[in-house]
Amino acid sequence: MTSHTDPAGLVSLPEGHQRASLPRVQTGLSDRAIAWLFIGPTMALLLAINLFPLLWTIFLSFTNYRANRPNAPLWNVGFDHYVAILTDPDIWLRMQATAHFVFWTIALQTVIGFGLAYLVDRKFRGHGFWTTLILVPMMLSPAVVGNFWTFLYQPQIGLFNYVVGFFGGIAPGSFQMLGDVTLSPWAIIIVDTWMWTPYVMLICLAGLRSIPDYIYEAAEVDRASNIRQFVSITLPMCMPFIMLAILFRGIENFKMFDMVNLLTAGGPGSTTELASITLKRAAFEAWRTGYSSAFAIILFVAVFGLANIYVKTLNKVKAR
Amino acid sequence: MADVVLQNVSKAFGATEAVKDLSLSIADGEFVALLGPTGVGKTTTLRLVAGLEIPDAGRAFIGGRDVTLEPPAARDVTFVFQQYSLYPHLTVFENLAFPLRAPTRRTPEGEIRRIVTDVARMLRIDTKLGNKATQLSGGQMQRVAIGRALVRRPAIALMDEPLSSLDAKLRSDLRVELKRIQQELRTTILYVTHDQMEAMTMADRIGVLDNGRLVQVGTPREIYENPVSAYVAGRLGQPAINLVPRALLGEWNAPFDAALVGLRTEHMQLHRRSKLRATVDGDISAKVKRIEHLGDQNHLHLAVGQHDLVMLADPALPLDAGETIDLRLENPLFFNREGLRIV
Repeated sequence: MTSHTDPAGLVSLPEGHQRASLPRVQTGLSDRAIAWLFIGPTMALLLAINLFPLLWTIFLSFTNYRANRPNAPLWNVGFDHYVAILTDPDIWLRMQATAHFVFWTIALQTVIGFGLAYLVDRKFRGHGFWTTLILVPMMLSPAVVGNFWTFLYQPQIGLFNYVVGFFGGIAPGSFQMLGDVTLSPWAIIIVDTWMWTPYVMLICLAGLRSIPDYIYEAAEVDRASNIRQFVSITLPMCMPFIMLAILFRGIENFKMFDMVNLLTAGGPGSTTELASITLKRAAFEAWRTGYSSAFAIILFVAVFGLANIYVKTLNKVKAR
Repeated sequence: MADVVLQNVSKAFGATEAVKDLSLSIADGEFVALLGPTGVGKTTTLRLVAGLEIPDAGRAFIGGRDVTLEPPAARDVTFVFQQYSLYPHLTVFENLAFPLRAPTRRTPEGEIRRIVTDVARMLRIDTKLGNKATQLSGGQMQRVAIGRALVRRPAIALMDEPLSSLDAKLRSDLRVELKRIQQELRTTILYVTHDQMEAMTMADRIGVLDNGRLVQVGTPREIYENPVSAYVAGRLGQPAINLVPRALLGEWNAPFDAALVGLRTEHMQLHRRSKLRATVDGDISAKVKRIEHLGDQNHLHLAVGQHDLVMLADPALPLDAGETIDLRLENPLFFNREGLRIV
């Protein structure tokens, strides 16, 4: 055999000639370079808009910097801002208001959200329609929600006051949800619960749907009552989902600003002044940039720490 | 423990008739297996006994009591699901104790502990009692599920392919253990499977289902030796029975209405051709297509005319692919045009 023939038999070359390979030229980039090329833009963006501002805020928190006087001489104030914030009784009142808001919104949203999920999970006529309807508040913008609840809470013409007055047998104008020192903290809790319960419901629904039917059938054959099935199957198997919903809502509400700012702007007095509203005022009304930077860092560390502890617990629950 | 009777039960899901006019009685302490391929209504039958489905027609009796409309909890049955239906956040002990803690049947805590430990020892999971259900291997999980069905000493234990999700080795181990435990406890078991091996080895009687109907009930031996139809014959036997048209056999003395002939290994005598042995009249000449070596035996793939046959052969027999041999038939099974057996 002296020659190879191509299948069509058109070309024949002497042996050795047709596979004369050229030395391979290294073209293009190495794998590592390509990897960097892909993640580079993301890294740059993260550094520029996440890490740099964080580091810059930490830096500013030790200075007397004021954003409205950028050319004033800058000096190091050490931990003065931190000490001032942590020893200020007013700040602790703001923190208490925040804790009150976070605790009650989570409590209500979890209980109502899980309850709704439990009801919607049953196969009844039009359950898809009701699920969608329940989800509507969540899809609105917080600004829109804030504005129209201001109308609903209006003592003379507000629907909320009218309904409460109608069922409670009191004059609708006799109470002001947003203007009353004791009612206003609850007013913002009601609005947040109205808006975000659907979100908790959605997560709980995913949890309920993840429990296979045969577990319930096994329990039924094992003569477990409905209550026992709920306590020993539904609740524990749904728990990781419920805890996840609590985590998301907790972090969100710890930094609640937009809706409450529109509803009460922290008032009356400062009864609904949540930490983030105080922060915004210090930063953009009093222009105490250094001070507010220190406050922001304190809040960040608090949320970050709490969330971490919580996630550890969550993982333990999941591992059960 | 009690006898269980299904009387002419039917169940349809929409347009699909899952179970049609099915009657079956299971004696106290008996192990009955329902055999059939996927989708013939085995699981539905089981669920009808459990009360997880209510029949459209017919009645169900447990221990002589009409339970047709009773919920599962009132029937004193237990159920082992195909999937590991354990309560994942509970320990093995708590999973096993779960049925004993039902409010309708208060059992003292010491008694629970004793029963659970006994059953766990029997199933060889007594060292795992403190483990969470999710920390077990597949085989252990299914043992717990089986244990949960046995702790209560039910009127009947219903098992829906409990071994099908396990690997082959574990499956054969558990098969033996399950039979041993059943005999020890004298539990009445209705067992659903598509695995002929499980049905053959464990069941006192096998019920063969075809398209929602119970076509034959009998001991494994009866079903194997005297199948009522070609369908039933095809359910048992490894390799599966060879079903060939009557015409293939030439001048064989078959009943006049026979359309199909069923040939198992024991119906065929294999003869090698040699100078010393002349071909006898009525012998069928077959060509060896392929030999599968399984160690203790060989699967012989033969070609007879247009048809392929599979039979077992002694591995010591020095056969080669391509060789032509003679087959002599001995009492094969005959089936008519509808696939029914002609005796």
